[in-house]
Amino acid sequence: MGQLPVPSSPLLNGLWRESGAAAYGLEKEEFNRILHRVGTEQDYGLEPGATASRRQQAGFFRGLRLADLTLARACASGHEGAWEHFIAVYRQPLFRAAIAITGSETLGRELADQLYAELYGLSARDGVRRSPLDSYKGKGSLMGWLRTTLAQRHVDHHRRTRRELPLDNLAEGNEPPAADPKPGKLPAELLLLAKAVVETLEKIETVERFLLAAYYIDGRTLLEIAPMLHVHEATVSRKLHRLVDGIRKQIVKSLLGYGLNKRAVQEMLGADPRDLDLNLKKILQISLPDAFQEKAAL
Amino acid sequence: MNSNLQLDLHPDTDSLSAFAEQALGVAEREQILAHMTRCSRCRQVIYLAQKAVEAEALEALSAMPSGRWYRSWRFAWVPAAALAAALALVVTFYPRHAAPAPEMAKVVPQSAQAAPAPVPQEQASAGIAFKPAPVVAANSVAENKKLAMLRQPPEELALETAPSTASPRGSGTSTHSAGENNSARTPSTKSVQMRTQQEPPAQFNPEPAVDEWQQRQRMTGALSANANTTQASQESMKTAMDRAQAGRSAPAFAVESHTAKQAAPAASFGIDTQEAVSGSAASRNANQPILPSGLAAISTATVRQRMLAIDVAGALFLSEDGGKHWESVARQWTGRATAVRVQAGAGGAVFQLTNVSGFSWTSADGKTWTVQ
Repeated sequence: MGQLPVPSSPLLNGLWRESGAAAYGLEKEEFNRILHRVGTEQDYGLEPGATASRRQQAGFFRGLRLADLTLARACASGHEGAWEHFIAVYRQPLFRAAIAITGSETLGRELADQLYAELYGLSARDGVRRSPLDSYKGKGSLMGWLRTTLAQRHVDHHRRTRRELPLDNLAEGNEPPAADPKPGKLPAELLLLAKAVVETLEKIETVERFLLAAYYIDGRTLLEIAPMLHVHEATVSRKLHRLVDGIRKQIVKSLLGYGLNKRAVQEMLGADPRDLDLNLKKILQISLPDAFQEKAAL
Repeated sequence: MNSNLQLDLHPDTDSLSAFAEQALGVAEREQILAHMTRCSRCRQVIYLAQKAVEAEALEALSAMPSGRWYRSWRFAWVPAAALAAALALVVTFYPRHAAPAPEMAKVVPQSAQAAPAPVPQEQASAGIAFKPAPVVAANSVAENKKLAMLRQPPEELALETAPSTASPRGSGTSTHSAGENNSARTPSTKSVQMRTQQEPPAQFNPEPAVDEWQQRQRMTGALSANANTTQASQESMKTAMDRAQAGRSAPAFAVESHTAKQAAPAASFGIDTQEAVSGSAASRNANQPILPSGLAAISTATVRQRMLAIDVAGALFLSEDGGKHWESVARQWTGRATAVRVQAGAGGAVFQLTNVSGFSWTSADGKTWTVQ
């Protein structure tokens, strides 16, 4: 790993001054330690295991939201001034974000209050107060981090409660339909079609795979997908059309490659997708092994 | 990793939020995207975070004062200009349309005047006001006089009748009994038109008649009245424009300022920051800068004499002299800019611009912006 910038270096002095760490009583040594920890955790933005030069370290540090980072760390360490500033700046936006995420004022306030309690470090482990703010690394803005945290809390809560729904709550009318009888052996043509679909979908790129998942599995609108890819919704629409056309062409090509004639291929493309024994969701979500090796921190 | 208790492998909160804010490098972004392709939970998290950003932006927009009555004056020039154009058209073309009528009478042979067409019985018995037919009008004074004698109209009518047969003035000023109408009425329009078609078209020359009529109208003041009307409409349009300008330049907003709250950390950098942090409700300085767009500023940031301001429409303006003169900054960001602020950078203070989606751009000079 790269060398730690010496406390008296002009770089550190400049970063310390610009971050406003002094306002929260954060000394240079402590600031240096925080920066080093953040840099180490993220490999200074390099490939895992790569050694960062001083210049790369400086570039990495300059890319951080240092003002937000020092505020978060000062809050996590319980600095009163930092908390006053945090509450003045983030309290109302946090409530609004929570209300927007939950779609309900009551639930939103509850969610925001819950997060506030956690941020304040009311939860303790091994007798030490822990605040999630300690895990903020300054990559994005602190407000963005708070929003994402709220969204994560909400999604996890929703998934947990849905999973834990007691069976009694299932009304008789809402019982899941009985499973269809095991389908018989599929015709050879449909097996070929399924094979062509799987092969084609496995070849498409990450962004395209994401587009398909977001549009067809999640049922998101173009307007919702566009900001995630940082493009206009019209671009998403074009990409999607091109992608679907490309997939269709590739399937046709594969089927022709299997020795079918054009007419048979056209007939097969008109087949009812329900006749195919395919789990598109599963196929789309099969990818390379996960690069994220982190697990729950708390 | 975040603090929730799920044990799946997910990107940490920091990476997800940075992804949503487009603050990641290409490689890391690709990693997150690949993960999100197969993780519906993370996709949902990002959608919800994005939803919160949009709600925040909408909140900021709705917090702005709605359009005041005087703001609508900025569009007053549209109907005023349309009205002026319509009046100009009327003034220009009205005499030309009215003038050809006397020329049609010119081709009528004398014999036709002596043989009046039969008048419908109901019209004759009704005793309605006499409306001279266009064909009655004669180009020459002699013919006019002859006709006037035949009809025995008042003198002023005889003078007025010639070019203005189509004018309501001439038509409405004289009344005659049914008997007079019967005897004095000259050939009907139909008969004259039939004869006119037989004449060579080269004889048709309305210009002198138009000039003559215009001269007479000027003498009577009719045309000058029109001109006055046009002038008056132009003046009213100008007044409307002035009012619109006044409405733009002096907006009276209800000012809600978070400056005191924001100033604390900035003060330690020796920087004057006047905006709401992280896209919160837009704050306003009590001294609203007057921007070239004429719109109110929703966010401003100042470093020494250099000042940046975003107006309601999301346009960015730069002032190098503390807000006295402004210039527009070319758009180098996506979406609507909602906030600008001063951020401590490596080489000193830099400006940071945030759009509705929460994405940020930075600039050292306020002119050139780079995405963060």
